Amino acid sequence: MSLFLIAALPFLGAVFPALLIRAGRNAAAASTGAVTLLALIGLVLHAPAVLRGETVSARLDWLPDLGLNANFHLDGLGLLFAGLILGIGLLIIAYARFYLSREDPMGQFYSYLLLFQGAMVGIVLSDNILLLLVFWELTSLSSFLLIGYWKHLPEGRQGARMALAVTGSGGLAMIGGMLILGHIVGSYDLSVILQNKDLIQASPLYAPALILILIGAFTKSAQFPFHFWLPHAMAAPTPVSAYLHSATMVKAGLFLMARMWPVLSGTELWFYLVATTGLVTMVLGAVIALFKDDLKALLAFSTVSHLGLITMLLGFGTKAAAVAAVFHIVNHATFKAALFMNAGIVDHAAHTRDIKQLGGLRHLMPLTFTLAGVAALSMAGIPPFNGFLSKEMMLEEATHAIWAGTPWLVPALAVFGALFSVAYSLRYIAHVFLGPRRHDYPTLPHDPGAGLWLPPAVLVVLVVLIGLFPNVIATPIVTAAANAVTGADVYFHPALWHGLTPALYMSVAAVLGGALLLGGHRAALGIWNNLPRPEAKAIFDAIVGAATGTSRRFSDRLHNGSLARYSAIFLVFTLAIAYYAFASGTLGPETRAPLPVTAMPVLGWICLVGSTLSVVAFHRNRLLALVLIGVTGLIVSMTFNYLSAPDLALTQISVEVVTIILLLLALNFMPQQTPRESSPGRRSRDVAISVVAGLGVGGLIYALMTRDFVLPSISEYHLANSYKGGGGNNVVNVILVDFRGFDTFGEIIVLGIAAIIIFAITEAVLGSRVRARLLNRKPWSPLAGDSHPLMMVVATRVMMPIALMVAAYIFFRGHNMPGGGFIAGLIAAIAVVMQYMASGFSWATDRQRLPYHGIIGTGVLVAAVTGMGAWFNGLPFLTSAFGYVHPPYLEKFELATAALFDLGVFLAVLGAVLLALQSLARYAWQPGIASEHPMDINPERDDATQTIEGH
Amino acid sequence: MIQADLTVILPEIVLAVYAMLALLAAVYTSKDRLGPTLVWTTGALMVLLAVWIATGPGGTHAAFGGMIVDDGFARFAKVAILLSAAAVLVMSQEYMSRRGLLRFEYPLLVALAAVGMMVMVSASDLMVLYMGLELQSLALYVVAALRRDSVKSTEAGLKYFVLGALSSGLLLYGASLVYGYSGTTLFSGIIQTAQHGEVSVGLLFGLVFLISGLAFKVSAVPFHMWTPDVYEGSPTPVTAFFATAPKMAAMGLFARVLFDAFGHAVPDWSQVIALLSLLSMFLGAVAAIGQRDIKRLMAYSSIAHMGYALMGLAAGTAFGVQAMLIYMAIYVTMNLGTFAFILMMEKDGKPITDISALNMYAKREPGKALAMLILMFSLAGVPPMLGFFGKFYVLRAAYEGGLAWLAIAGVVASVIGAFYYLRVVFYMYFGDEGEEMDTHSSPVLWVFLTGSAAVMLLGIVNMFGIEGAAAVAAATLVN
Repeated sequence: MSLFLIAALPFLGAVFPALLIRAGRNAAAASTGAVTLLALIGLVLHAPAVLRGETVSARLDWLPDLGLNANFHLDGLGLLFAGLILGIGLLIIAYARFYLSREDPMGQFYSYLLLFQGAMVGIVLSDNILLLLVFWELTSLSSFLLIGYWKHLPEGRQGARMALAVTGSGGLAMIGGMLILGHIVGSYDLSVILQNKDLIQASPLYAPALILILIGAFTKSAQFPFHFWLPHAMAAPTPVSAYLHSATMVKAGLFLMARMWPVLSGTELWFYLVATTGLVTMVLGAVIALFKDDLKALLAFSTVSHLGLITMLLGFGTKAAAVAAVFHIVNHATFKAALFMNAGIVDHAAHTRDIKQLGGLRHLMPLTFTLAGVAALSMAGIPPFNGFLSKEMMLEEATHAIWAGTPWLVPALAVFGALFSVAYSLRYIAHVFLGPRRHDYPTLPHDPGAGLWLPPAVLVVLVVLIGLFPNVIATPIVTAAANAVTGADVYFHPALWHGLTPALYMSVAAVLGGALLLGGHRAALGIWNNLPRPEAKAIFDAIVGAATGTSRRFSDRLHNGSLARYSAIFLVFTLAIAYYAFASGTLGPETRAPLPVTAMPVLGWICLVGSTLSVVAFHRNRLLALVLIGVTGLIVSMTFNYLSAPDLALTQISVEVVTIILLLLALNFMPQQTPRESSPGRRSRDVAISVVAGLGVGGLIYALMTRDFVLPSISEYHLANSYKGGGGNNVVNVILVDFRGFDTFGEIIVLGIAAIIIFAITEAVLGSRVRARLLNRKPWSPLAGDSHPLMMVVATRVMMPIALMVAAYIFFRGHNMPGGGFIAGLIAAIAVVMQYMASGFSWATDRQRLPYHGIIGTGVLVAAVTGMGAWFNGLPFLTSAFGYVHPPYLEKFELATAALFDLGVFLAVLGAVLLALQSLARYAWQPGIASEHPMDINPERDDATQTIEGH
Repeated sequence: MIQADLTVILPEIVLAVYAMLALLAAVYTSKDRLGPTLVWTTGALMVLLAVWIATGPGGTHAAFGGMIVDDGFARFAKVAILLSAAAVLVMSQEYMSRRGLLRFEYPLLVALAAVGMMVMVSASDLMVLYMGLELQSLALYVVAALRRDSVKSTEAGLKYFVLGALSSGLLLYGASLVYGYSGTTLFSGIIQTAQHGEVSVGLLFGLVFLISGLAFKVSAVPFHMWTPDVYEGSPTPVTAFFATAPKMAAMGLFARVLFDAFGHAVPDWSQVIALLSLLSMFLGAVAAIGQRDIKRLMAYSSIAHMGYALMGLAAGTAFGVQAMLIYMAIYVTMNLGTFAFILMMEKDGKPITDISALNMYAKREPGKALAMLILMFSLAGVPPMLGFFGKFYVLRAAYEGGLAWLAIAGVVASVIGAFYYLRVVFYMYFGDEGEEMDTHSSPVLWVFLTGSAAVMLLGIVNMFGIEGAAAVAAATLVN
């Protein structure tokens, strides 16, 4: 049978129980068993070849790009494990059929079981480490489903969570290790990796790869300090515990260590990591097991201890130890699975697993007692059972191990562990089955039907047979497996009697000591209970709790919703990477000489810096801050002027005026002072960050400006072509209306849209509940008595025609001299806005003839039509034409279509500014605010002011 | 000539014109009552466009003097963007309708954002890049604050806008510097100037500022600060949208800029990207542990996932880009399924996002719980779910690109991150008995949930051939 089929059978078969459960529980169990049996037969068919030393393989490219191939192979180790998985699986399936009660959804259970079985078989047959990883995590997933099968038990939940968290994380860590391993070798195929021991061990990445892989293996096999999850996973149904937590899943970690043994073992690091972990786990598990009263907990910790034993053997790194490890894997699987099923029988019959409530069952359950006795004695390492054989081998190997130059340490601890192992094994017999019959069992126990006792009986028979005739039954398969592990021919010939060796003395000492210890169990328990001992579950919970708490505090502090904090982090990091750029880039010498420093610019600079700093210092007083911002803007405009950019200066100054007016409007709705919100510490932090950022940007700009750009700037082109192509001497204006006329066209549309949106939002807001609040608004400070001061009204009215005249002047000279439609539009807008400010909103609105929307629209249309005019001459959109006209009585005069376009700009800007400001002004409108006479003085208001001030 | 240019961007034009016409039509007719119809037509149009792009002729076509390019990479990203945007639209229709959130602007804003994203991944010029980015961002700012009556949503939108403007400014500053020191805005011109070893400080400043701006868009740490707030504050369908298409587009643009414009200076940016990746993975993993709100949790999850995707870019190789594309495609698919589930979560008809509401959910709805379990395992990167393959691709890419430390850090982060995904599963299967949550059964959401879960499982057969497509796409970008 192809290996593909063997690996796939359990997965394919997983649908049967789910479907057949309708036909009854027997049908579901039978189909599950049949699938498993079929896979087992397929495996057995390959056995002769494998035992001869051949390797059966099946290869299929899956995602070759990724190095993931569906390659399977079957060697001695694979055969041993696959045989255990499928063989014990078969027994468990039979056992579970009779163990589970009628209410349990059995179809689901068997489906999960088959999924799990398939994943396990996949692990042991994989010839590709990525494929192995896939199956590895599938076991975590399916075991999660199996452990959680009995959802109603609270401890089951906790157990499932820990099992998943620990083994799942370990598996993820292993991905990293496998990745490194595959990269060192250049292939992810195990058969290739196993050939490259020297390459791997010489690699500098050997240590991280080893550690990551071992984390995966240790978590799966419940090795210290990850051992705590296994006992808590025992809340699962007993068949699951027997299968997952004794025979199969927990052995996956051992399998992996055995599989990788040829390439990873043999180094100091391997010895100290693996052997030490195994030793500690073995002793710790054995000690804890003795003091557990729950039958399953006792067995669980004993499993931990035995897994530690095998890990330790693998860690020794010698061939003989590896052989012993393989042999013990077989023996442990047989007696431990039998004991788990036995514990299940007791639980089933007596309805309790508490050893304190049990005892004397020998009389009631003789058959169960016999089975338990044999299996437990084997676990204790008593001849003539199989546990004795492998334990002897372990002790023998322990005598050869030298830990950090101390030859006695490992043997002594091994005996110590073995001693406890004997004690808890005997306790399982003595405190459950021996002793007087009790009268207070929760229910009266009795031997179960054949369905429950037959599966463990099969295993117990194996325990005895392997013990008596190890060379007939175990040698072929163990030899084949050990050959696969060590990569060499090993000699394996176990015997019950092999002379008076140190191992035998140690064994005898362990048995006698164990028996004595059990005798003094009560006293020992007293000592144990008084010992301060860390409870793994509590530690796990504490770690999880602490991690959650720390994480929450961390993220709460980091993401506290404060925009200031977000920006600070943003800025600091940007500064850091800017520094990185500065440090790693090349910066040539300065190539441009700075301008000579004269008094004028220095004065301007002082004013600029002074006003900027003052804004920061006085920003709480909003009106003052606004004035200072105005100063800053003014100096910027003057700078433009000084540096021969009159257009920019004009634009800047008109934009400044409009902006300040807009801000004044906004101030109307705000308190005069900004409240203090941040602490001095935070302010100084912010100051530091902004100073560094400001100086950084300044320095960057200075560095850039003192060096030539790599290419000549675009200005040359514009200077050369402005008159030739655009008919104007003012390059800035020509750029605006000609070279980049399309941009300008877009911009005036955007400007218009923005104004209309402000209008629309105002309409919407004033139509909502907000209006009532606006109307009832109390001013922050008493209103001035003369809201429309006489002087100002007169001045603005006088100024208006002059301002409009200036606008026209600026507009017309624009094409050749500083000026243009944009600036002209702003100036005209300022002239009108001043009327609103001086004479009042109502007065001005009454005199408004043209709707501002219309002005915007007209402007855009004029610009568009001008642009389209070019089409009639067969030229692209917005190409300008110009010529000279001689109107009568006037000088020669240049006319350019660009001027018409500029008119569009003028109108759009005018309309947009007025519409926006007028809309915003409407928020401040209150009934009765308008007076009939613009130049009014309201004496009552004066009184009101005085009363408030006097008060 | 102009015809040839327009043909290249025809899909973008179709979508943009559709959005504008639909906007006008809706404004002048029945407004919000047209919402559901618009959602379906927009979704259908996006799917059609995706099919059109996917089945169209191959090859590389440049338009507008090389400012826009349509190549295998752009097509791969566009198909992913359009399909995920359409999926989110369709998923959100019922949720939003029932809560009166479905304004007619929503599908149109999504469509306009999609146009922006398509332009982004096709941009091969700094100005086009900025144009696409801003079109996308402006639409996203508005959708983030779609729930105007909720303070949280408004606040989230405002924060997003302020920080977004800051990052846009930074990006623009960077773009100007790049222009100043290479004399061109075309990527093909910049790459001539930016050769490793002789990069001037100005150009390098430009590069790191560009990276900062783009890192904001993919919400890489430390430019991620907006993500949890926006994810939590926005209506869930909008969150789902944020977590899918824009991420794909921003990663695509990121790759485009780094390889098309700075492909000869890989060592200059590789370290910065690696750092962003490292920070994102760890912050995403660590900060999510304490979260109780599943939307916030998904925000941190997306930050961590972006870290992994960036890892592929940091490798600086064609394989790295391929890995990133595969990662993103898988990530988007997983997220669609997960958000389909989140959209179903409700109690007494009100949406609910606390993860403790998932307690013992598996008992009541085993099917949905199983689908969610698969998705969570996939998000955690547990084999054999598809999420593992994505993660494996990027880890390998980083490893082979000489960033072994980053790959190992990625593994460690994924171990930490697995914790909170598994916790969601744990709540569903073993939580305490407590307040029970119902899930609104909507056939559409159910299809997305189970479909996405099925993809995560069935995808392991051959990843639906996406591997090959991504390899082709990556090859057109890196040469």
